[in-house]
Amino acid sequence: MTDQKEGSSSGSKPVIVVAVVWAVLTIATEILLASINFHPYGASREARISDDAFDFLMYLAAPIFVFVIVAVGYTVIFNRSKGGDADEDGPPIRDHKVFTRTWLLISTALAILVIITPGFTGLDELRAEPNPDMVIDVRGERWNWNFTYQDTGVETQDKLVIPVDTRILFRVTAADVLHSFWIPAFRIKIDAVPGRVTETMVTAEKLGTFADDETSRVQCAELCGVGHARMWSEVEVMSKADFDAWLTGAGG
Amino acid sequence: MAIVEKPLSIGTSEPVLADRPLGVLTRPKGGNGWRDWLSTVDHKKIGIMYGVAAMFFFVVGGSEALLIRSQLAVPNGQVLSADPYNQVYTMHGLTMVFLFVMPLAAAFANYLIPLQIGARDVAFPRLNALSFWIWISGAIFLNSTWLVGGGGADCGWFCYSPNSGVVFSPSHGVDFYAIGLLILGIASLVSAVNLITTVINMRAPGMSWFRVPVFTWMMLVTQFLLLFALPVITVALFFLMFDRLFGSQFFNPDTGADPLLWQHLFWIFGHPEVYIVVLPVFGIFSEIIPTFSRKPLFGYSFVVFSGIAIGFMGWGVWAHHMFVSGIGPVSVAAFSLSTMFIAVPTGVKILNWIATMWGGKIWFATPMLFSVGAVTMFTIGGVSGVTHSLAPVDTQQTDTYYIVAHFHYVMFGAGALGLLGACYFWWPKIFGHMLNERLGKVHFWLATIGMNLTFGPMHILGLQGMSRRIDTYSSGFGFALWNAVATIGAFTIATSLLVFFYNIWKSKKDAPNLPDPGPDPWDARSLEWMLPSPTPEHNFDEVPEINGLDEWWHRKYGYDDDGNVVRIATVEEAAQKGDATNVHLPSPSFWPLVVAIGMPLIGYGLIFNLWLAVPGGLATAGALFAWALEPADDPDAHHGGSHDDHEAPALTGADTNEES
Ligand SMILES: [Cu+2]
Repeated sequence: MTDQKEGSSSGSKPVIVVAVVWAVLTIATEILLASINFHPYGASREARISDDAFDFLMYLAAPIFVFVIVAVGYTVIFNRSKGGDADEDGPPIRDHKVFTRTWLLISTALAILVIITPGFTGLDELRAEPNPDMVIDVRGERWNWNFTYQDTGVETQDKLVIPVDTRILFRVTAADVLHSFWIPAFRIKIDAVPGRVTETMVTAEKLGTFADDETSRVQCAELCGVGHARMWSEVEVMSKADFDAWLTGAGG
Repeated sequence: MAIVEKPLSIGTSEPVLADRPLGVLTRPKGGNGWRDWLSTVDHKKIGIMYGVAAMFFFVVGGSEALLIRSQLAVPNGQVLSADPYNQVYTMHGLTMVFLFVMPLAAAFANYLIPLQIGARDVAFPRLNALSFWIWISGAIFLNSTWLVGGGGADCGWFCYSPNSGVVFSPSHGVDFYAIGLLILGIASLVSAVNLITTVINMRAPGMSWFRVPVFTWMMLVTQFLLLFALPVITVALFFLMFDRLFGSQFFNPDTGADPLLWQHLFWIFGHPEVYIVVLPVFGIFSEIIPTFSRKPLFGYSFVVFSGIAIGFMGWGVWAHHMFVSGIGPVSVAAFSLSTMFIAVPTGVKILNWIATMWGGKIWFATPMLFSVGAVTMFTIGGVSGVTHSLAPVDTQQTDTYYIVAHFHYVMFGAGALGLLGACYFWWPKIFGHMLNERLGKVHFWLATIGMNLTFGPMHILGLQGMSRRIDTYSSGFGFALWNAVATIGAFTIATSLLVFFYNIWKSKKDAPNLPDPGPDPWDARSLEWMLPSPTPEHNFDEVPEINGLDEWWHRKYGYDDDGNVVRIATVEEAAQKGDATNVHLPSPSFWPLVVAIGMPLIGYGLIFNLWLAVPGGLATAGALFAWALEPADDPDAHHGGSHDDHEAPALTGADTNEES
C-alpha cells in the first residue's frame, strides 16, 4: 500500500482551521453542557453519583463529538465538487500513522479513564456503606408493589414512605413475573425476580412527596403484562420524626 | 472456479446427458415468467426478492410504529388498549429487526458478494434459494399470528421469561414468536454457511484477503456472527417452545428453573445481533464514502481489523443488558469494561470514514448524503451507547426510553439510513436506471429530520422517568410535550418513505427518456461496476484477474510520474460487455421452495394439531430427497465454449446454445 504524502489540497491550513473551530465549538459546547441540567429531580445520594457520572461523560464526549461534526462539516463545505473527472480526484492518502495512532491512543486512554472513574469508583460508591439502618422488603406482583418494614412488620401497598438521611436496604422479589423496582428521583433500579431476592440501597437526602415531583414514585420498569404502565406507587420522604410517627400509626 | 455444483459436461460440444435418477426428476429450465422467480437459483434474483420483501415488511413494521406513536402521542391515549399495544410493539421490533434490516442487508449481500469477488454465483446456489424461501415462509408464518394465533406475541422482542410462559401469555402469539424465529434462524444459518464458503473459496484469481472489498469483508464477519449466535437463540427458542407446547419446565421458576437463564441466552445472541445489523452498513459506508470522496478508503486494513475486532468483542458484552438484573458486582464491572472497550474499534471506523472524506473532492449525490448522515447519526448513537457502559449511569437509563432512543439511532439512524443509501447507490447496477436525485435528497432530509424528531426527545423522556413498553402515561408525569414531538417525527419518517416509493415509481417511468447510466455511473472502485447495468445473468464474461485493492478503479486510472491521478481507460474500454454466451450456470430448481413450504406447516401443526405437521414434514423431507436426487444440471441443456469456471480446455465458440 502506497504511503503517499498528503497532497497540496490538504496542507496545514485546513488542519489549523479545523483545530481552531473545534476548540471554539468545544468550549461553547462545554459551557452549554454546564448550563443544561439533563436530569430530573434528584433526591438521593445515589442520584448525585449517577448524575455526576453522566455529566462527566458528556463533558468528555463533547470534544470528540464536536471533532466529528467539525471535521465532517469542514469536508462537506470545503471539499465539495460536482464529481466526474479524473483530475478531480483527491489525494490517494491510504494511511497516516501518526493520526491513526494518536486517535487510537486517545480513545483507549479515555476508555480506561472513564471506566475507572466514574465507572468503577461510582459502582464502588453505590455499594459503599453496606450497613443499612433500615431494611424494607419489596414485593412486586401483577400489578402492585408491596412494602414490608422489617423490625416492625408494617406492611403498605401503593405508597412507600421512608425517612430522610437513613441508609435503607431494599430486598426485592417478585411473586409472578419479572418486575423492576425503579425510583426515578433516586436513580436506583433493580429487577424483581421471582424466587430470588435482589438488593439495592439508597440514602434519601431531600424531603418530598409524589405531589411535589412526579419522579418520586416506584415505577415498574420491566414489562410484566397489561398492567405494566399502571404499576407504580407514590414515594414520600419524611423527616425521621415524622416517619417514626407514621410508622407507629401504620403499625397501629 | 465460480460454481461449486458439479459441472455437467466438459470439453465437448456434444450434449451429454446426466443420469436421471428414478427417471423422473429433471430440472426446470427457467424462463421469464413467475415460474422463473419461483425456481431461480440466481443470486441476483434472490437478492432482489429479499429486497422487495424487506421493503414490504418495512411498511408493515412502520405501520406498527405509527400505531405505537399514535397511542403515545398524548397522555392517556385511546388508540390501543394495553393488550394489543403490547402485541404491536413486540411485532414492530421483530419485524424491523428480522424482516426488514437483516433481509435488506441479506439482499445486498446476495447480490453483491459474488460480484465483488468476481464470481458467477454463490457457492451453493440452491441453498441460497432455500435460505430465501425459508426466510419468507418464516416471515409469513410469524405475521400470520395476527390472523390465526389470537394476536401477536405480547412479550417484547426479548420476551423475558416467565412473562413469556403460557400462564402469563395464554394466546398463541409467543408460540408464533418461538417457532417463527426458529424458522427464520434456519434461513440465516443456511445463508451464513453459504456466504462464508463463497467468500473463502470463490474469490477471483489474485484476490488475496487484503484485496477483498470492505463490504464483502464486513458481510463475512456478519455471517460468522450469525453462524455462532443463532445456535444459542435456537436452543433458547426450543426450550421456550417445549415449555409452552409440551409442558417442559426450562423457564418456570416455580419448579426450580433459573429465571435469568433466558436472559443470558437471549443476549448472548442478542448483542452480536446488534453487530449483525450494523456491520453490513459499516461495509456500505466503506464503499460509498471513498467513491464519492474520490479517494481510496483511509486505513483499509484498520477498517477491516476493527470490524473483526468488533466481531470478537461483540461476544463479551451481553450482560450490559442485565446490569440491574441482580448479577454480581464483579460481573457488572467486567461487562462494563468490555462494553467501554468495544467503543474503541468503533471509533476507529468513524475516524477512517472522516479521514477518507478529508481533502477529497466530495460529490454529494444521494448515496453519499445518506452515508454521511448515517455516520453522524451513528456517532450520536455511539455516544449515548457509551453512557450505558457505566453501571451507575446505566442504572437510571436501562429499561427506559433512553435505551429506545439509543438503539434507534443505531438501528434506524445508522442501519436503516445506511441501507436506504445503499439502495440509491446500487440501484442503477441492479435495475439499469438511476433513482431520481432530487427526490432522493428530499427523502434523505425528511428521513433524517424525522428520525431526530422521533428519537432525539426519547433521550429526555427516558431520563425523566418514562419506562419502556408502557402503553400509556398520565398527564401529571410531564411526558406530553416530547411524546407529541416524537409522534410528529414518526409521521415525518413515514412521509419520507412515501417519497422513496414515489421515487422508485417515477424513476422507472422516466428511465427510457434519460441517458443510460452505463456500467459505472458513480465512477466507483469495486468489481461490480465493471459489469453492464443491469448485471447480465452470468455476471462476468471472463472472470477478472485481480492485481490490487480497488481493482476496477485501477483499471480506469493510473498515476503519472508526479504521482497525480490520470485516466488510463474509459469505462467503455475497461468494462465487460456482458455478451458472452454459453457460460455454464447452475440450473433452476423448485425443491428449495417446496422444502420451505413445509416448515410453516410443521409450525402450525406443533401449535394447533400435530396431525397438521404430517403434510408439512412430508413436504420438507420429501423435497429434500427430491433435491438430492435431482440431476446436477438440466440434462437437456447444452454446455458451450466458456470454461473459465472450471478446468477444461477452452473451446472456440462453436456452440451458440442459450445459456443453461
Ligand atoms: Cu411490573
